[in-house]
Amino acid sequence: MSINHLAPSAPTILEPARSTEPSSVAQAIRFIRQRHWSFAVGSLLFLTIAVLLIISPWIIPHDPSAQSLLRRLAGPSVQHWLGTDHLGRDLLSRLLIGGRFSVVIAAVTLILGAVIGTLLGVISARTGGLTDEIIMRVVDLLISFPDVIVAIFMIAIFGPGYGTLIASLTIVGWTPFARMARGLTLEINSREYIKAAEVLGCTKTFIIFRHVIPNAIRPIAAISFLRFGHKLITVGGLSFLGLGVQPPNADWALMLAESQPFVERAPLLVFAPGLAIFLTALSVTWIGQGLEMKGRNASKAAQ
Amino acid sequence: MWMIALQRFLILCLTLVVISLLAFLVPYMSGGDPVRTIVQSRVGDMAIDPASVETMRVHLGLDRPLYVQYLGWLWSAIHGDFGYSFVSRSPVGPEVARALVVSFTLAMSALGIALAVALPLGTLSAMWPGKTIDTVATFVTQTFVAVPEYWFAPMAVLVFSLYLGILPSAGWDGPASLVLPALVLSLRPLAYFTRVSRAAMIDVLQAPYITAARSRGLNMNQTVVHHGIRNGAMPVVTLFALWLAGLLGGSVVVEVIFAIPGMGRLIYEAVVNNDVPVLQGSFVCIVALSVLINTLADALYILLNPAVRIRHVH
Repeated sequence: MSINHLAPSAPTILEPARSTEPSSVAQAIRFIRQRHWSFAVGSLLFLTIAVLLIISPWIIPHDPSAQSLLRRLAGPSVQHWLGTDHLGRDLLSRLLIGGRFSVVIAAVTLILGAVIGTLLGVISARTGGLTDEIIMRVVDLLISFPDVIVAIFMIAIFGPGYGTLIASLTIVGWTPFARMARGLTLEINSREYIKAAEVLGCTKTFIIFRHVIPNAIRPIAAISFLRFGHKLITVGGLSFLGLGVQPPNADWALMLAESQPFVERAPLLVFAPGLAIFLTALSVTWIGQGLEMKGRNASKAAQ
Repeated sequence: MWMIALQRFLILCLTLVVISLLAFLVPYMSGGDPVRTIVQSRVGDMAIDPASVETMRVHLGLDRPLYVQYLGWLWSAIHGDFGYSFVSRSPVGPEVARALVVSFTLAMSALGIALAVALPLGTLSAMWPGKTIDTVATFVTQTFVAVPEYWFAPMAVLVFSLYLGILPSAGWDGPASLVLPALVLSLRPLAYFTRVSRAAMIDVLQAPYITAARSRGLNMNQTVVHHGIRNGAMPVVTLFALWLAGLLGGSVVVEVIFAIPGMGRLIYEAVVNNDVPVLQGSFVCIVALSVLINTLADALYILLNPAVRIRHVH
């Protein structure tokens, strides 16, 4: 819920889709420099985290699930840079591995929701009539469901697992995208080039994929980035409750949950995984914010 | 106007029917025989006698056709009777009602904190967009959105309960136990409220009636207080309702961490213990409530905003 209410119903970032020119480094740099600082910083932070998560199986100093009860809750040392947890497992190794599941699950649910939502929203706006009415009433309904509750109920019924997790978060997750894509499409529909395409006799499908979606993609991308943090935190919350990623897998939220009883003795065990989730969520939020901020300025300049 | 109200009402009813049907089917969807589950929950892990399962089936009326069972279940559910909890053996209705009161108190406290900070902050950053206060507000709210509550909560407990010892770390007795969970829960709504009130105030401050007020000789502060805030707060009211609906069951993590006997923890424990009646009762109540609150929020928005109201009439 919630972020969709921030999204302007008639979004401002509507630039004609540019044909892709031969890309170059200079162009990429120009793209970044045109944006708010948070875009560059967020991208850099997120890329660092993503690269670390991808290469982590080859760089971790210890086996993340190797226990050593003699070294329980040990402080930082040369061997274990960040110390060990309550089972003597190396914290640094677990941190490096621990984001893989939740980040991938958050990304997959987000992309699924964005694709389904955008398609349904565009169809809703282009078709109108009863289809529009039905789709939007379903959106009205689902958007008011708390996503954690829906996920918990689905997990209660179908049992925990990655499939259930992804399905349950997608069921509610597509609705803000549908609402936004519909608003964008209605705006794009009134443009001259759509009328031109219609006069030329282009098919509905062609207009949707050639004109509507390319023009709606950027604001939707901005919202996707802004929602990613929310998704990551939700997935983490479910893992924290024991309903998401299952032990003995290393996962940030799971590590946090397991270390809670020892928070007074070893605060780092709770602090570090939480910080990892926070930084990942923050970096993507910054990217989204950077994309959105530039859009705001650009549309102001165009007016 | 009345057509819209009628349409909304019909959709609401349809929703409630769908939700109740889903809740009713919970024990059937999870696979396995619900009667077996019930018998199992009563005898513990002893071997189950097939004959007693059949006796129980007839006794509970579960041998009747499914739609008869559904109508019977719905009839009791409308009267607040969702059966008895498998775990505590007490009626589900009162249990859900008690939990709802707790969650409502918690949600209102958190949203109160959020509102008290967000409205002034949003208004101030709208008055000076791009200036220091705006930059700081934007930065802080961006950060707040990314804070997982299951990280902030143990850290806050560590500082305020274990190190400083000024606030209880868990439980639900007295206002002191409300402070930490409400604070933890308020971060994200605070961020969204600030951003929405900022955007709304920026729009409001460009409106002709603000210029008119200024030209009548009111200074900026007077203008904002008398004309700006009332109009700028409107989107926040709607958002407040949405967050209230979301937090009633959505504060599971915080309620579990702080051992608060609210809706979230009730649902969580029902899931862990496979307590089907509690699950059904809380599911129906939570979803019905959030749909109801949302419908009311929409109605409120239309009532508060003459422009929308007129558009709907024509």
